[in-house]
Amino acid sequence: MNILIIEDESRIAKRIARMAHDIFGNALQSIKHINTLHEALKFIQNNSMDLVLLDLNLNGDNGFDILTTAVSESFHTIIVSAYKDQAITAFEYGVLDFVPKPFNRDRLEQAFNRAIAKEKTGTHKIKLLAIKKRGRIRLIPIENLLFIKGAGAYTELFLADGTKELHDKSLEKLEQLLSHSFERIHKSYLVKMSEVKEIIVKSGSKYMAELKNGERIPIGRTKYKDIKARWL
Amino acid sequence: MHMKSWRNFFWVGSMLLVTSCSQHPVFKQYDPVFQPGDQQEWAAKNRNDQDWKKKIALTDGRVFWSRTKIDILEAPESLHPYGIRLHVYGEYEVFWDGVFIGKNGNPGQEAMLAPEGKMWATFIIPTHLTEKGEHLLAIRSSLHYFPDHVGIFGLEIDYYDDILTDRLIETSYMHIFAGAFLIASFYFLFLFLSDKKEYPMLVFSISCFLFFILILTEFIKAYVPIHYSLHHIRLQVIGILMFGISFLIPFYFSMQFPYPKRKLCLIIYAGILLLIFLIKYDFFDFTARIMALSMCVFSFGIVVFGAYKRIRGARLVLLTLLLCVLINFVTSFDKSLYAGFGLILLSMLYLLSLRIKEQRLAYENSLVQSTRLRLELLKKNIQPHFLMNTLTSLIDWVEESPKKGVLFIEALAKEFDLFNQIENQTLIPVSQEIALCRTHLEIMEYRKEINYSWEEEGIDPEQKIPPGILHTLLENGITHSLPLEGNNIKFKLIFESNAHYKCYKFLTFSRGVRQTTSNREEGTGIKYIKARLNESYHSKWDFTSEATAYGWKNNIKIYC
Repeated sequence: MNILIIEDESRIAKRIARMAHDIFGNALQSIKHINTLHEALKFIQNNSMDLVLLDLNLNGDNGFDILTTAVSESFHTIIVSAYKDQAITAFEYGVLDFVPKPFNRDRLEQAFNRAIAKEKTGTHKIKLLAIKKRGRIRLIPIENLLFIKGAGAYTELFLADGTKELHDKSLEKLEQLLSHSFERIHKSYLVKMSEVKEIIVKSGSKYMAELKNGERIPIGRTKYKDIKARWL
Repeated sequence: MHMKSWRNFFWVGSMLLVTSCSQHPVFKQYDPVFQPGDQQEWAAKNRNDQDWKKKIALTDGRVFWSRTKIDILEAPESLHPYGIRLHVYGEYEVFWDGVFIGKNGNPGQEAMLAPEGKMWATFIIPTHLTEKGEHLLAIRSSLHYFPDHVGIFGLEIDYYDDILTDRLIETSYMHIFAGAFLIASFYFLFLFLSDKKEYPMLVFSISCFLFFILILTEFIKAYVPIHYSLHHIRLQVIGILMFGISFLIPFYFSMQFPYPKRKLCLIIYAGILLLIFLIKYDFFDFTARIMALSMCVFSFGIVVFGAYKRIRGARLVLLTLLLCVLINFVTSFDKSLYAGFGLILLSMLYLLSLRIKEQRLAYENSLVQSTRLRLELLKKNIQPHFLMNTLTSLIDWVEESPKKGVLFIEALAKEFDLFNQIENQTLIPVSQEIALCRTHLEIMEYRKEINYSWEEEGIDPEQKIPPGILHTLLENGITHSLPLEGNNIKFKLIFESNAHYKCYKFLTFSRGVRQTTSNREEGTGIKYIKARLNESYHSKWDFTSEATAYGWKNNIKIYC
């Protein structure tokens, strides 16, 4: 596990680092603390990591600038902030968890567990997906998204207007964030269930989900039972 | 206020109409002729007075006669006699067509007897002597006190009842008018007494009072008999009142619409008025006219300048002045004088009401602003960024190093205590503010684990400053700075003062967070500082905040 802490309060950063060591033990490969926005952006571009812990108020700057960049990356982002009122917005942007200050070890461990155990975000609704496109960040509203196809470490987002975009997060990570309205119907597909028109049973126990726009997506043999139980 | 001024305007307007709508005259008057001497036959209607003179010069109180031909154009209704009202200097007897119809004093005996009679006297003309046609008014008089005032200055013939009542009706209206200004005068005097800085109110109050006295003096003749020997006193009083009003009105406008070199202009104007007042003219009204004219011209200049500078209310006052000029063209001087002064005073009242409204709004604003600033100061310690970060660090210190945690809590308690002490004040000693800054640095050291140091230079601990402004600069300095080599950030406060200003320099020695040194956008902290400076010093301050080679520099200058 490689962790980056973006926090301008030195004592708090040390606290997070110390707890991370305790919680992850040997699983923690590296932990880095950066206290300015500028350096953090540079570090994110040049290094790969698994988890970022971000304070939204860095040196009086608005942390949402860096938040959109962070959530467009392959890693999960956890916000550690004094401003609880920003939690809903942060979740809408697609953060994995929001840890309000002051926090104790249990709360931080809960957030870390979400990251390791691929736990779902549950009731918090994500509204936007940030993608990187030609060096800029674009925010895609979730209602425009029909389904997602895994493509190795990346994913392909299929949008309502027929276009396709790439996202740096893996299908597993997006499944965590989108669990409230999307279902993993196949090992390579995550589909918005409200878009599914019907399920077609083909010979040889092959199942297909037909979307409202006519597109057909295969349903994994093992997934069919779950889906049937939950949605039909 | 607007409604009220319009109501008053209509009232004055309708009054003007009432007084100016006089009926057609029932008589025609020819020039009088005069003759010194005393012969009873001179009263006769058909006597040859060809050799009488239009002007005579007397030097003592001996008797002289005057004869005036009068045409009656319309005979009176039966049982309603005509009367004649005379405005003539001297004590005299009146003869109409040779018939003795009245007496005003004792002509020829003035030196021996006490003064008797009045300037304006009314006599009944017997009905049988007022048929249509030519008539003769003969007056036997003497002018012991002002022998050079020979002449008939006013003559009016109408129904006797009307002559008496018309004047009283007019007078009663004018007295009501005057009463309004008396009340305004007292009201604004009391307002001034409650706030002695409001000089425009005092000037307005005095102007209203002078105007009240002026109307009284002018119309007193209708009901108080004045002997001709005392008449000049009344005229002098009117002159002095005119002088006062003519000076005060432009003086008031000068206060409301300031222009360059005000003092000099006002002194010159006062000199001109005084000159007009002191020079004697044959015709008394002339002095009053020139003074009114000078007042109008000067006021006009000031108000035009005010309108040019777009000062609120100047346009309406300009319109009022133009209206006064218009009234002057369509009515007699006397009427336009009162209507004009009345209108100008109303426009002055309108200006006062505007200023009072502005002051009230400014005051209400300042109250709201003060409360807002107080809340903002209070919020400094409970806003989440400060409180939650502090508490998180505090928990960590307590968990990891309880002894230091206790010191941290003590520093926090001290800062809270200091905030409680200054929370409801607008100015505090700088020493208290510095104590607050030092405590804050202590707290921030526990949080940020940076070595903060504080230096002072030339501080006078007794000097007062608004609470929280240095604290805000310190907060900004901490937020936007990165430590130098050796994990150090230094803050330095320098105080300088001279006869013109006091200056606080607040310096931060650090690395900036951003690469660029462009000015920071004005945050809530800077707004708070500016609002606090405004609250205590109005516009007499200056604040700059800029990046320097060594960190950041803030400059607060307070002018004396």
